[in-house]
Amino acid sequence: MDLTKAIEGKEYIVKDIDTGDSEMDSFLFSLGCYSGAPIRVITKRRSGFTVAIKDARYSIDVHLARAIRI
Amino acid sequence: MRIAFAGNPNSGKTTMFNALTGSNEKVGNWAGVTVDKKTGIIKKKFYSGGETLFAVDLPGAYSMSPFTAEESVTSTYIKKEAPDVIINIVDATNIARSLFFTTQLLELGVPVVVALNKSDINKKKETRIDTVALSGLLGCPVYTTVSSSAKLEGLKEVVGAAVALKGKEQKAPYTAEDGAPADLEAAKAADRKRFDFVNSIVEKVETRRQSSGEKNIHDKIDAVLTNKWAGIPIFAVVMFLVFQISQAWLGAWIAEGVEIGGREIPGLVTLIDAFKEWVAGSLSHANVFWAALLTEGIIGGVSAVVGFLPLVMVMYFLIALLEDCGYMARVSVVLDPIFKKVGLSGKSVIPFVVGTGCAVPGVMACRTIRSDRERRATAMLAPFMPCGAKLPIIGLFAGAFFGEASWVGTLMYFVGILIILLGALLVNKITGFKNKKSFFIIELPEYKVPSLWRAIKSMCQRGWSYVVKAGTVILLCNAVVYVMQSFTWGLKLVAEDAPETSILATVAGPIAILLIPIGVRAWEMAAAAVTGFIAKENVVGTLAVCYGISNLINTEELAMVEGADSAVAAAFGLTKAAALAYLMFNLFTPPCFAAIGAMNSEMKSAKWFWGGIGLQLAVGYTVAYAVYTVGTLITDPASLALLPAILGFAAVLGFAGVIVAIGVHNNKKAKEELAKKAL
Repeated sequence: MDLTKAIEGKEYIVKDIDTGDSEMDSFLFSLGCYSGAPIRVITKRRSGFTVAIKDARYSIDVHLARAIRI
Repeated sequence: MRIAFAGNPNSGKTTMFNALTGSNEKVGNWAGVTVDKKTGIIKKKFYSGGETLFAVDLPGAYSMSPFTAEESVTSTYIKKEAPDVIINIVDATNIARSLFFTTQLLELGVPVVVALNKSDINKKKETRIDTVALSGLLGCPVYTTVSSSAKLEGLKEVVGAAVALKGKEQKAPYTAEDGAPADLEAAKAADRKRFDFVNSIVEKVETRRQSSGEKNIHDKIDAVLTNKWAGIPIFAVVMFLVFQISQAWLGAWIAEGVEIGGREIPGLVTLIDAFKEWVAGSLSHANVFWAALLTEGIIGGVSAVVGFLPLVMVMYFLIALLEDCGYMARVSVVLDPIFKKVGLSGKSVIPFVVGTGCAVPGVMACRTIRSDRERRATAMLAPFMPCGAKLPIIGLFAGAFFGEASWVGTLMYFVGILIILLGALLVNKITGFKNKKSFFIIELPEYKVPSLWRAIKSMCQRGWSYVVKAGTVILLCNAVVYVMQSFTWGLKLVAEDAPETSILATVAGPIAILLIPIGVRAWEMAAAAVTGFIAKENVVGTLAVCYGISNLINTEELAMVEGADSAVAAAFGLTKAAALAYLMFNLFTPPCFAAIGAMNSEMKSAKWFWGGIGLQLAVGYTVAYAVYTVGTLITDPASLALLPAILGFAAVLGFAGVIVAIGVHNNKKAKEELAKKAL
C-alpha cells in the first residue's frame, strides 16, 4: 500500500519509491527516505501529511505520499 | 587560509558565520535562506595567530548530488575551489540525516572539523551524543557548539581546530567503492551502504530520551496552525496584526506622537517639522531660491519619506519575528493547496511573505523553487505584494483621502494577493502549461521563541538602509525634481502664475496624458509615478516637493494639523476614486529598478523578464482604470469623462489582445511539441 493509507503514529518500512522523477527520488534519499528505511505518519490532513523521517518532520502533499509505498 | 562552512539547510550555518565574522547576513527558521555563497573575515577574537581567515558561507545542502540550485553551488564550490579546511555544521538534533553529507565531505581530501550545532536543544531534550566516540569513528575533530543569538559556545575551539588542520591529511572513515558507479542502480546501492554506515555510527554514539517519531508539542501546535479550517484564518489574522500594529498602532504612535496619562509625547513627524522650521528660520536672510531648495526641496521631500520610517521599521521587526519562530514553513503548508490550483506551490509563499518587507529579497527567495516555470512565475508575481517602500504611499493616500488608514492598507494587501493568484492562472494559460505533476515537500523546523535581539538587529539594519536611501537617492531625486520644477527650459525661474512652463511639467506632461483615463490630470502625479521607479518612497517625496507639503501623515488624533488631510486632498485635486486608482497604479505597476534587476537575475530569460514587466504594466494600468471608472460610476457618474474612459477601455482591450495572442501562440507550440513527442 502507499503512504496515504498509513495509520497515524505507526512506524512503517519504505518498500519502494517511485515519483517518476529521479532527482526527486535522490532528494528523498538524501533525507533518509529510501526503501528499507523507517517512516512514520504523524498527522494526516486533507491536502497532505506530516511525516517523520529520521529525526526531522516534513510536510508532503498527497502526490508524494502516493509515490511512497510501504 | 580559506574555511568553508557547509552543512544541511537550517543547521545554523549562517548564524555561526554571522557570529564569527560580525556580518549580518539574513537568517530565518526555514530551509534555504542562504541562496548564494557569502564571504567574510573571521574576527581575531576567535583565534590566535596572525593569518587572516576567510570564511565562506555556502547554501545548505543535504548531500553532494545536486538537487536544487543551492545544493549545486555547495558541491561545485567545494569540488572546484578546494578550501583549506571545511567546517561541517551538523544539526545535532538530527545527526542521522546530517552525517550522510559529512561522510561525503570527508572523502574530498580536504580536512573537516565537525561542529555539532544546536547542542542546547539536545540538552533540553536529554539527547546525548558521545563526541569522543563520534570523533574516533569519523576520524576528524568534533566539537559541540551553540551559536544562537543569545549564546555562543564552542566557536573558538572549532576555529582553532580548523587552523591546526590546515595542510594535514585525514583518513576518510568510509569510501565509496572504487571508481564511479556504473549505473544508477549501482549508485543507489552505494548510497544505501553509506547510509547503513551512518546508521551504525548513530547507533553507537547517540542516546535519546524521547523517540523523535512520537507526537510532541510541536506537532500539536502544527495540528492547530495547519488545520484545514483554521489554518488560513489564522494566517490572515497574523498578517492583519502585522499591518495593524505597524501602521495603526505602534508604528503610528512613534510617527505621530501619543498621549500617555494626559502628557503629549511628540512623534518623529513633529520633531522633523520643528527642525524644518528651525532651518527655515535660520535661513531667513539667505537667497530665497537656495533657502527654498533646502527647506522645501531637500528637507521637505526627505522628511516626508523619513516620517514613515517608524511604520516601516515596526513592520520589519514583526516580520523578522515571524521568520525566526518557524511559522513560515507552516504558512507554505497551509497555502500549498490554494497555490497548486493556480499552478504554483507552497514554496512560492515564502517569496510573497518576504516581499511584504522588500521585493528584492522576496524575488531572491524564489531560487529555492525547483521548477523553472514556477520560479519565474513567482519572481514575476512577488513584486505585486506591497513592500515596505510602498507603505508610505499607502499611508499618504489612506490618510489624505480616506480618513482612516487601516482598511485601505489591508485592502491593498488583499488586492495584491488576488492579483498574484489571478496572475499565476494567467501565466499558466499563456505558457500553455499542462497540469504536470509537481511534488511538494518542505521541512517543518521546530518552533522556537523568536529572538528579540535578532529582530531588533534586522529592524535597525533595514531601517538604516531606508534612511541611507532617503539621504542619498531620494534626497538627490527631490533636489532634481525641485530644480526641474523651479526652472523653465530657458533656465529662468518659473513665474508663479505659470507652473506649467517648468522643465518638470513639460517632461512629465506627455506621460500625464496616459494617466487621464485613471482620473489623474496633473503632471505632478505623473512625475511622482516616474520617480517611483527609482525608489517607491520617491512617489511621496516628489508629491511633497511638488505640492510643498511635507507633513503628510495623518491620523484622527492629530488630524494632520487642523484639518490638513482635506488640505492635502484639495492640493492634489483628485476625487476619492481617482486617488485610489492612482495609489493602486503605483503599487501594482513594475517595482523599483532594484527589484526589476533581481527579477532579471532570477528569471534568467529575456522572454520571461520582458513578459513579466509587460504583465506588471498591464495589470497596474488595468486595475487603476477599473477602480477609477467603476468607482466614479458608483459615486458620481456625471463626472466621468467619456472620451478618456473609451480610450482607457481600448488600452485595456489592447493588453488583453496581446496576452491572448501570446497565449494562443504558446499553446499551439506546446501542442505541436506534444504531437512531436507522440510520434
